[in-house]
Amino acid sequence: MRIETKQVLDTIQSIGEVNGAVALICLCRNHAQLREHKDIIHLVDDYLLAESLVEGELPTRISHAIRRRHKEEQLLEEQNLLKQLLENIPDAIYFKDTRSRFIKVSKAMNQIYGFADPNEILGKTDFDLFTTEHAQPAYDDEKAIIQTGKPIIGKLEKETLPDGRINWVSTTKVPLRDTHNQIIGTMGMSRFVTELKQAQDQLEREGRLLKTVVDYALAGIFVKDTEGRYLIVNQRHVDYLGASTVEEVIGKTLHDFFDHQEATRISINDAKIMKTGKGIEYMVDHRISLNSKDLWLLTSKVPFYDKDGVCIGLVGISQDITGQKESELKLKSTIQTLKTTQLQLIEAEKLKTVGRLAAGVAHEVKNPLAVVTLGMDFLKQQLADSTDLIEVLNDMQTATEKANHVIFELLDYSSPHEISMVPKDINELIEHVISFMRHNFNEAQIELQLELSPDLPQVSMDTQKMEQVFINLFLNAISVMPDGGELIVRSFEQRMQQAGSNVSGNMTECFRIGDRLAVIEVKDTGGGLSSEALDKVFDPFYSSKSTGDGTGLGLSVTQSIVDMHRGLITLENRTTTEGVCARLTFPTTSDHENT
Amino acid sequence: MKIHSKSEPTTEPRRVLLIDDEAAFTRMVKLNLEATGKYAVRVVNESPTAQAVANEFKPEIILLDVVMPEADGGDVAIQLRQHKITQDTPIIFVSAMVSRKESGSGFYKSGGEHFLAKPVTTELLSHSIESVLNQKEAD
Repeated sequence: MRIETKQVLDTIQSIGEVNGAVALICLCRNHAQLREHKDIIHLVDDYLLAESLVEGELPTRISHAIRRRHKEEQLLEEQNLLKQLLENIPDAIYFKDTRSRFIKVSKAMNQIYGFADPNEILGKTDFDLFTTEHAQPAYDDEKAIIQTGKPIIGKLEKETLPDGRINWVSTTKVPLRDTHNQIIGTMGMSRFVTELKQAQDQLEREGRLLKTVVDYALAGIFVKDTEGRYLIVNQRHVDYLGASTVEEVIGKTLHDFFDHQEATRISINDAKIMKTGKGIEYMVDHRISLNSKDLWLLTSKVPFYDKDGVCIGLVGISQDITGQKESELKLKSTIQTLKTTQLQLIEAEKLKTVGRLAAGVAHEVKNPLAVVTLGMDFLKQQLADSTDLIEVLNDMQTATEKANHVIFELLDYSSPHEISMVPKDINELIEHVISFMRHNFNEAQIELQLELSPDLPQVSMDTQKMEQVFINLFLNAISVMPDGGELIVRSFEQRMQQAGSNVSGNMTECFRIGDRLAVIEVKDTGGGLSSEALDKVFDPFYSSKSTGDGTGLGLSVTQSIVDMHRGLITLENRTTTEGVCARLTFPTTSDHENT
Repeated sequence: MKIHSKSEPTTEPRRVLLIDDEAAFTRMVKLNLEATGKYAVRVVNESPTAQAVANEFKPEIILLDVVMPEADGGDVAIQLRQHKITQDTPIIFVSAMVSRKESGSGFYKSGGEHFLAKPVTTELLSHSIESVLNQKEAD
């Protein structure tokens, strides 16, 4: 059959469209026909001349044609893949010869470096695209790859363009080999990471800034994880912990630097901050390091969170205020001494006045008494025979002696006496005061309830002054219960605990942790005190009683005496019932022995 | 101690000069002491006249109040001790200005001086006078 060339060409195209993998063989009768259809020969996989076909040749030629077609198809496929890669990947991909000249580049690379014509870049080198600052090291790298065959993976490179722009790229370069495995150049891929690099740089700058702030801050700074392990710490805080280096502290907890009790106390506090999310500001924290050194810190702590809002630790800043605290304590002690001295002076001055008064009274009373005494002596002598009259005179004499006794008492009381501190059972003193005030309680219809702890340690005291404290408190209680009531006097021992549990700020200022303290509570069932009164009740001349009922010096003097005994007096309204509870706290002698 | 009666004097009564501004007191002392029969008491209620009275009376012992208007006991004592008639006459100061601690039983010595604390009984007065005079005689 004779077929027209045009017809054949159409057929071949149709077959190719349906399945490119179909092998095509052109069968011609002779050379003349072959020449006639030379356009077809270019498009098929093989041709056969019928006239020279030997037996058995046809199947072999068919099989060869099919294999060839397959290989060609594969090659085409691979070429297509490479093309796709080079055209679509946004990274710069390039192939270079042994002299580092571009032999093929990706579309993206052409675009990035501004080559409209894809062939324009071919034959150029990095020296044509970049300044020497980048081109030279890149060239040196490629030379090394060609010599050694060793690739460079993910190298961060700074590309400096002639117009001054800078690109940051992450580059991977490998040797380019021919089919015989000979190195014929290099190929590589550069990914543009300028933004990432800028972000990294920014992060690094911030990190450095933070480190500078942390390292040179005039305070201890620390960051702990939720388990209390130090993540970040500066040298100052390392010093507070009694350690030497930052490395020594990182990864460790408070338990490595403080005794168990101390470490637990702070850890509980930290856990609370992380749990509640509430930070603390300017907390005065007293710590005792493992080498028993006192350390006062002014600390602020806040929890810190990850981007999802989960608490992942705690950040803190501590300032060493030990020096300030020591001066404060010294100042307090000085003021205490001053107050005591002042009180003694006031006492002495007061007694001088009372003494002068008493002396005057004594003089004025004793003279008449002297007259009466002697008068009675004379009368007795004159009336020696009248027994009844003598008896009357004797009674009168006894009465005069009593009056004289009172004057002596007054003189004794007002004669100046030095304050002498002796250890004494405070319960005994309270009972003594109550015994001579029993009449006052009875008259005011006040029921007394004593709850005195039998094992109370002794308190070093000036008996007369301490008696005055209780007399004042009892008189106050009586005055606030005009219609009668109940007075509870309770004593018990208390051991000074850490601040925060049972202890107010005043307590920590007055006593040391571990001190054995004697506490006495005097509770009345009067009307209680207003908050204004509670604030001012210890001020001299403050009185809630109407003018004329008292001088208003009672509680002020009471406080001064308590101060003199290094004690503490507080007044608060009772919670269970109406009334006031006056609480006195004194250091005991068992405590003094230890200090 | 029993109070002496007037009928029992054995010797010349001792001359006692009592200087005190309290007229009632001096009257009582005079009455009681003289009732013992052992003493002759001369009273001075205005201290500035004490020396003149003493010069004339020549007491064997002087009872001298401490607190007095005008010249007080201290001034009077200095004056008496500077005068040749009274310079060796023992003085017992009588005062209301003493505490029980100072006074003890009521008659005591302080700074080399004898003191009596008011109020005082006749018995103690007499005992004190005797004690001081005996002491002087022994010296």
